[in-house]
Amino acid sequence: MRQVAFYGKGGIGKSTTQQNIAAALASMGKKVMVVGCDPKADCTRLLLGGVRQPSVLDTLRDFGAEKVNLDRVMVPGYATVKCVESGGPEPGVGCGGRGVITAIQTLESLGAYNDDLDYVFYDVLGDVVCGGFAMPIREGYAEEIYIVCSGEYMALFAANNICKGIKKFAERGYARLGGLICNSRLVENERALVEEFARRLNSRMIHFVPRSKDVQRAEINKKTVIDYDPGLPQAEEYRELARKIDANTEFTIPTPITQDELEDLMREYGIVD
Amino acid sequence: MKFKCNETLPERAIHIALKGPDGGCQRGDGSGCFVASNTATTPGDMTERGCTYAGCRGVVGGPVKDVIQLTHGPIGCAFFSWGYRPHLADSDFHMKYTFVSDMNETNIVFGGEKKLLQCIIEANREFPEARGVFIYNTCSTALIGDDGRDVAKQAEELIGKPVVFFECEGFRGVSQSMGHHVGNETIFRHLVGSVEPEGDFSRSINIIGDYNIKNDLRTFEYLFEALGIKILTRFTGNVSVEDLKIMHKAALNVVHCQRSATYIAEMMRDKYGTPYIDVTLWGIKHMSQALRDTAAFFGLEAEAEEVIAREVAAIQPRIEYYRQRLSGKTVFIYQGGPRAWHWIELLRELGMETMTAATTFGHDDDYQKIFRQLKEGALVVDNPNVPEIEEILHERRPDLFISGNKERYLAYKLGVPFVNGHTYDTGPYAGFVGMVNFARDIDKALHAPIWQTLRQRARPAPPEHHSPHGFEEVV
Repeated sequence: MRQVAFYGKGGIGKSTTQQNIAAALASMGKKVMVVGCDPKADCTRLLLGGVRQPSVLDTLRDFGAEKVNLDRVMVPGYATVKCVESGGPEPGVGCGGRGVITAIQTLESLGAYNDDLDYVFYDVLGDVVCGGFAMPIREGYAEEIYIVCSGEYMALFAANNICKGIKKFAERGYARLGGLICNSRLVENERALVEEFARRLNSRMIHFVPRSKDVQRAEINKKTVIDYDPGLPQAEEYRELARKIDANTEFTIPTPITQDELEDLMREYGIVD
Repeated sequence: MKFKCNETLPERAIHIALKGPDGGCQRGDGSGCFVASNTATTPGDMTERGCTYAGCRGVVGGPVKDVIQLTHGPIGCAFFSWGYRPHLADSDFHMKYTFVSDMNETNIVFGGEKKLLQCIIEANREFPEARGVFIYNTCSTALIGDDGRDVAKQAEELIGKPVVFFECEGFRGVSQSMGHHVGNETIFRHLVGSVEPEGDFSRSINIIGDYNIKNDLRTFEYLFEALGIKILTRFTGNVSVEDLKIMHKAALNVVHCQRSATYIAEMMRDKYGTPYIDVTLWGIKHMSQALRDTAAFFGLEAEAEEVIAREVAAIQPRIEYYRQRLSGKTVFIYQGGPRAWHWIELLRELGMETMTAATTFGHDDDYQKIFRQLKEGALVVDNPNVPEIEEILHERRPDLFISGNKERYLAYKLGVPFVNGHTYDTGPYAGFVGMVNFARDIDKALHAPIWQTLRQRARPAPPEHHSPHGFEEVV
């Protein structure tokens, strides 16, 4: 069982990419579980055809700990991908970070992690704002991490910050960076920039996902591209990315760069004057 | 002055000092600097300090007698704050109940504001006789950012009574001392001056910093009243919310506990121009001085002398009796803060000398007051830990240990007579009449028959374990 965490700036397309990879792996016969670690609970929408499933924390709150079981909180999605949402509080109240910890511990105690699974995906919200959102990369959970980014400054800035967090855990002996996934925003010279940025982080850009309107179309239909039309070129891109992840053996401890370095890099690649 | 138990904790040296022959300070690190206090506890130190929540809930807010005392946090925070201090009041409601929002895992994840509001409404419904609600914030609810102030505001409108939110999260500050400060500021900001009563307050005072431990107030309230002075508000022993609201009208603040309550006296001075005086209401000399100082403010000197003469004459024979039985004994006082210096003079009046004084959360001014009064060779320890206390009892062999119930059995096991100074054995101890109680309890501790029995019956201990504590001069 490989446990994989996806991080990246909010709105970068993390959940879409992650669900498409999960769908691609599942279509290849892999057994995948997706654990959404975002209080918004929107990490499995495309796999479930838009159905909102009861989250672990909502169930815990509404029915009590003794009533939480896998039948309630784990819903099979596209190609039997097992979908779980941790859920969490409304914006501005409570503690989403603690929620992630509670949800993952609950899943563990319910026996959600079993040897039948080939992959467990964690889809974690935006920046790693506190200890709770680093829960998926603590010891015993995700050992490989992919950062979804684009060539935009703020996306790279966030990726660099996430690497600082990964480095801390990596130095304790677990969690490694598997690579950067560039989800193209049609930024000038984007591929070269992200490749160079990844190299400086002691990693690599594992795949460049081109911009495609088909992603949008599939999303409106509440589906992954793989599910919507497996014959589309974009579906092949996601399958290619999934194959690369499946075959990946290059896991590194990232070397985050300084803000000055990042700004120089942007200038060098001609994005900023 | 070095402790054996501190060999592995050299950081403690700066918190320990001897008073040198020239009156100078001989600190544990070899320097002549003054003893360090009110600093963060060193890791590895078995400190006995409490937290900010304990200081606010347990000391300053807790004694207010007619409010719902509600802890916003997990159930354990409520238990460990309640019923430990006998701050008595003339109310059936007071100290009988404690309330808690009982935050559990899902409350922490989803936020506790709604539950807190429900708690307030429910508690108020069950106890309509309560005149307000005090809410104390704890670590967990502070970390998740529950907006207790806003909840208090909403609740106030809903129940039509004052709802006061204390931001006394346990992790703030270095000891419970921060909690006293928070308690003072919050009560001052929220309650003091919120109503303007009619009437003549020109001969009224507030007693600031007395928490009515075992009815201490009864031992000196009548003394002030005998001078023709009205006590408007007691901060916060036996006090009601209504009393707190009007305390700004008093002509003078008389500050007893100068660690936990000078804050509000200073805030009242700055905002309302109310002057304050520092007093000690324990022991003949200090109590008399307190009456004289207060009387001087109102031009009642002659009345004060009359009261003092009458009261002192009434207790003098009994004090003299105890003085003869207690003379020459040495004392180790370990209190939360100011009592360590309040009692040095009182004990002298009983013929006893304080040779070691320690406080849990005293600040520099407390230690200055202790140091000034001590004789040369006396030891001062800031925030002593359990091994240090044990070593002091072994090595300095005080005849009497005045501390809190935490240390009682340690003292007994080491054969040291003990009096509970925190919450009193058979109090009250304040004022003139209270001093007789204090002297009686000390006498009972020192001359308890058990010490004689132990000497006769106990198996002989190895010489290095032998302690003469309390064994001599048994009548």
